[in-house]
Amino acid sequence: MSDLSILKSPGITSNPLTYTVLVRSGPDLQSQALSAYLFTKELLLQGHQVLRVFFYQQGVYLASNLRVVPQDELNVTVLWQQLSLDHGLELGVCIAGALCSGIVDEQESSRYELGGNNLADQFTLMGLGQLAAASADSDRLVSFGA
Amino acid sequence: MPCLITLTHAPYGTKVAKESLDIALVLAAFEQQPAVLFVDEGVLQLFPTPQSPTSHKHIGKIINALEMYDINEIWVEQESLDVFGIAVDELSQAVTVIARSKIAHLCAQYDQHLVF
Repeated sequence: MSDLSILKSPGITSNPLTYTVLVRSGPDLQSQALSAYLFTKELLLQGHQVLRVFFYQQGVYLASNLRVVPQDELNVTVLWQQLSLDHGLELGVCIAGALCSGIVDEQESSRYELGGNNLADQFTLMGLGQLAAASADSDRLVSFGA
Repeated sequence: MPCLITLTHAPYGTKVAKESLDIALVLAAFEQQPAVLFVDEGVLQLFPTPQSPTSHKHIGKIINALEMYDINEIWVEQESLDVFGIAVDELSQAVTVIARSKIAHLCAQYDQHLVF
């Protein structure tokens, strides 16, 4: 992770804005998934408010705690978890997309009798409406991934 | 907060077309007045198909529902229609055709712009 430290923050902004970040790329697009993380981290370091990060489409795969990445690669899931802990950042995952993709929390696992759950800590399953609500309350909605 | 949603994906093959239309419907349900713009292969979503491939929801039915959700601004890029040889009267929905040169101006009218 030392290579990320070269991205120095220019400091606290005098004009803080509220943001919603939409992450639509998953682990397959490592650089895009990482861009979303770096952007969000920089927003927080500069004193902006991030209402919610919402994981949709391929992005839901980042919420699995069963991913094992090669030792010389970054685990973006862990980076998001740490950022969430450091800043009280809300990480929302589209519940419909998550269930389709095999990402479930304890509650959904027992509801559908799946016998296991794999939603990573700090991530929360929620409806698309929570993206709409956050974007309505934000100055900016920034989307990553295609 | 008016939002423009640009749809660039073909209707079937992946779930992207459905997932992006879902966003439009949810934003409308939250009274954020979304508009949609079909470009590139996205214009194929407006081409009437009697039946959707197995395992896909019928995109035409979702598009027909846009009006019910008060999504009345439906834009289609002229150049994209031309690429596929589609005439505007062949489309399943009443739309407004816009030239590529006017797209930037269109985007500027919205607070938010999501591209799928």
